[in-house]
Amino acid sequence: MIPRSALRRLKREFDLMTTSQTLIAFSILLIFLIAPLALMVGQAFFHRGIVSLTWFFDIVGNVEYVSLASRGGMLFEVYRETMYIWGLDHGILLNTLLVAFVVTALCSALGVIISFVMARYSFKGKEIFRVLLLVPMLATPFVNAYVIGKLFKPDGGLVNFLFYDLLHLLPWRIDIDGLVGIILAQTLSFYPIVYLNVFASLIKIDPSLEEQGENLGAKGFRLFRDITFPLSLPGLASGSIIVFIFSMEDLGAPIGFIGARANPLARKVVSYQVYSSFAEAITGEISPRTAALAVLMLLIAVASFLAIKQYVGLRAYAMLTRGGRWSPRIKTPSWKAQGFIYLFLTLVVVAASMPQIGAVLLATTNWAISGTLPTMVTGEYLRALATNPDVTRAIVNSLLYSAVAVAVMIIVGASIAYVVARRNIPGRFILDIMATMPVAVPGITLAVGYFLYFSHYFRGTFLDPLVDPAVLLIFAYSVRRLPFTTRAIFAGLQQIDVSLEESSLNLGAGRSTTFFKIVIPLIAANIVGGSILSFVYSMSEVSTSVTLGALREDRVPITFFISQIVYGVAAVGAVSIGAALCVLLMTVQIVAMVLSNYLLKQQIAFLGV
Amino acid sequence: MVEVVLKDITKRFGKVVAASDVSLKIDEGEFFTLLGPSGCGKTTTMRIIAGLEQPDKGRVYFDSKDITDAPPYKRNTGMVFQNYALWPHMSVFENVAYGLRVRKIPKVDVNKRVHEVLDLVKLGDLAGRFPSQLSGGQQQRVALARALVIEPEVLLLDEPLSNLDAKLRVEMREEIKELQKRLKITTIYVTHDQEEAMAVSDRMAIQNKGIIEQIGSPIEVYSRPRNILVATFLGQGVLLEGVVEKAEEPVRVRIGDLTLHGISSMKTEMREGDRVACVLRPENFTLEEPKAPSNVFEGVTEWTAFVGPHKEVKLNVGGVGLLVDVPSNVETVVGRRMRVYICQKDTIVLPLEAS
Repeated sequence: MIPRSALRRLKREFDLMTTSQTLIAFSILLIFLIAPLALMVGQAFFHRGIVSLTWFFDIVGNVEYVSLASRGGMLFEVYRETMYIWGLDHGILLNTLLVAFVVTALCSALGVIISFVMARYSFKGKEIFRVLLLVPMLATPFVNAYVIGKLFKPDGGLVNFLFYDLLHLLPWRIDIDGLVGIILAQTLSFYPIVYLNVFASLIKIDPSLEEQGENLGAKGFRLFRDITFPLSLPGLASGSIIVFIFSMEDLGAPIGFIGARANPLARKVVSYQVYSSFAEAITGEISPRTAALAVLMLLIAVASFLAIKQYVGLRAYAMLTRGGRWSPRIKTPSWKAQGFIYLFLTLVVVAASMPQIGAVLLATTNWAISGTLPTMVTGEYLRALATNPDVTRAIVNSLLYSAVAVAVMIIVGASIAYVVARRNIPGRFILDIMATMPVAVPGITLAVGYFLYFSHYFRGTFLDPLVDPAVLLIFAYSVRRLPFTTRAIFAGLQQIDVSLEESSLNLGAGRSTTFFKIVIPLIAANIVGGSILSFVYSMSEVSTSVTLGALREDRVPITFFISQIVYGVAAVGAVSIGAALCVLLMTVQIVAMVLSNYLLKQQIAFLGV
Repeated sequence: MVEVVLKDITKRFGKVVAASDVSLKIDEGEFFTLLGPSGCGKTTTMRIIAGLEQPDKGRVYFDSKDITDAPPYKRNTGMVFQNYALWPHMSVFENVAYGLRVRKIPKVDVNKRVHEVLDLVKLGDLAGRFPSQLSGGQQQRVALARALVIEPEVLLLDEPLSNLDAKLRVEMREEIKELQKRLKITTIYVTHDQEEAMAVSDRMAIQNKGIIEQIGSPIEVYSRPRNILVATFLGQGVLLEGVVEKAEEPVRVRIGDLTLHGISSMKTEMREGDRVACVLRPENFTLEEPKAPSNVFEGVTEWTAFVGPHKEVKLNVGGVGLLVDVPSNVETVVGRRMRVYICQKDTIVLPLEAS
């Protein structure tokens, strides 16, 4: 029996405010996260009515999915003055993991070097590089890979034209495509995630820790290896796990490459397989094998996320020592070293900005059809954003979905953050874990879960994706972005002293009055800043947009429209309209970034990871 | 105005006991202080009265009404937080008006009462400012006004002066004391500053490790400490450990070669052979023999320090060190012999606790 004092305590804790906050949070998370995933996991483990691993064996035992021997592809092979770098096909599942590992490794290396340079050296123009380094974060879904594919075409691609035909710097033409193409496109767009996380870690290291190392005789690389790098590992760990999950679930690069070059190797990744099975979903079914594939991704993502979280938790010592004088260790390197820094950063920035520059070129010129270089400037494609009814409809849809999604995630996120930060009720830890979970749930996994769950249990209602995917898209955006929103609000709550709320209670205000009159105004900046970033995220969300969004023509969001264009469903030249949409997305994002930076006065907010 | 009663209040945070069987009765209109070192649980005790913490055990009564389970917003207490907890997004006026608006008081009355209370704390012309535009002392007054304007039944002050500089602290404590007298409001004051506590309180409680060690008027607690802990926490002084030779008052205590007569403020009887400590406060020593029965010490001056109002002298009396205050005009020379007296009634004999 529960003791009476415990019951009394519960009664006191569960006032109207707390009860409604907890109920809202739990019910939305249950309906739109837990139940769909649980149903999907259940389906994947059932075969002809009994629990079995049949579908998993079906995948693992199938050479289509796992093959230790190469099943085709080309890696560094030279034919007729062209070196083909496509990657080797080891089966869909292994390919995905290989790509994710390589992308994570490359992003980590790049991210660590850049963040070290940016955190520890001062040189002219650093502020400009600080901004330019983040350009790859501007969303150009599908078009980024398309542009890279176009640049590396053996005949007529700009890179080959420049370095082989014109400057004769390369012994052969280079053809980057397929899996390697995906790796290149993902590395260039994901490295800022590692960079920002490691940078944040580095600037939090107490300078005296390194000074002590120097004092004891360590310097240069040794100091970096023994002190600085280990202390920045938590940042690297959290950055790289996000890259790993992003890479696994990424659809932009595969679809973009297929659109640019039609190389079948670009199809041999899990995300694309799940995507293409949605093409058949219009008939109302998704095969249990797809569910199993989605579950497999979920398990890999969750397991690696938990492992990393455990690891970071064990090593959260970067901020252990505080106090003392905090003079950041920033050196001005020699001219020669500065030269190297400029060369390196310029290379990175130019390479990584190719997709964004390319998207702008495609949108404003005839580059899509002109060959190596554009020959004519045109406003035709940007105009189409307003004049083409299909395009306009996609824009309006996305704006609407994103706005509603932001409202949902603010309500749910604020509820969770407040309950977790301030209320001592049973279940708040579960709430906390549930709110963090979406970080480790690949978008396409969620899409499969939604499809199975809502088309089955809500058949024929407005929640049935076959009837209308709009509501599901809204909740998919909300749930996927929820961890970041919750954390932003949580951070705001941590900054305000509890006594500000206690004094309100003391003066006779109940919990809800206190919440709306005291708490909300005090964290308004965090809420608005978080909303803006979440809005941008929702506008450019890919995974659920191109899967669930495909199910009804008049409900498609921007990103699905771009994918269709790039994939080549529409007529030649239409890729420029996709690029124009990317330009629109980038503009929205830049405006939002400036706004939220102004509001939050912190650059890390940009990313939200 | 209410009488506040705590009955057997116990509160633990994990392994730390913040309040251990605390029982208090605070009279109507009384200025009552909880004094103790930081971490002793005095703030927790106050927060339990405010309803911001829930006791694990025990009850809280306002005028014999059990309010243990009432939420903070139904208790009608006015609390001033250590950091003032002024809402940065509201002006002074709005901060003060908040409690009245929550109580749905008509607008006209709100205006009137806020201005009255702001005048009371001498902030009449700063109503439109925001907290960030105020000095520490002004913020303190706003916090006080905000707590007073709702006409609380109990005023709770949690280290209200600890963020102010020394001079302002003395000024403000006088003001608070005066306001309290004028409004006759039951007031509970938490502080770790013994001088502050003694200056303002009608009665005070010394709390340590969650336990209330002694309750009484400042003078009682200071001159008749019930145990060594209270004796050493309040004021300066040396402890001389010895053995009881005669248990009847005045108690005779043998300390090495010395014999002292003193009084015991303990209620429990002392027995011959008990191990005890004598508390001797520096300011109670005199150079001339007093008329009342006294103890006499003769020793060598070990060091001396001029501290302004008087001189501090350390005497070595047969291996025992004594701290003595002497008037500034007395010549003190290191190495010279000196004789001092202390009244038997100022020689406090306390049992040594088996700690």
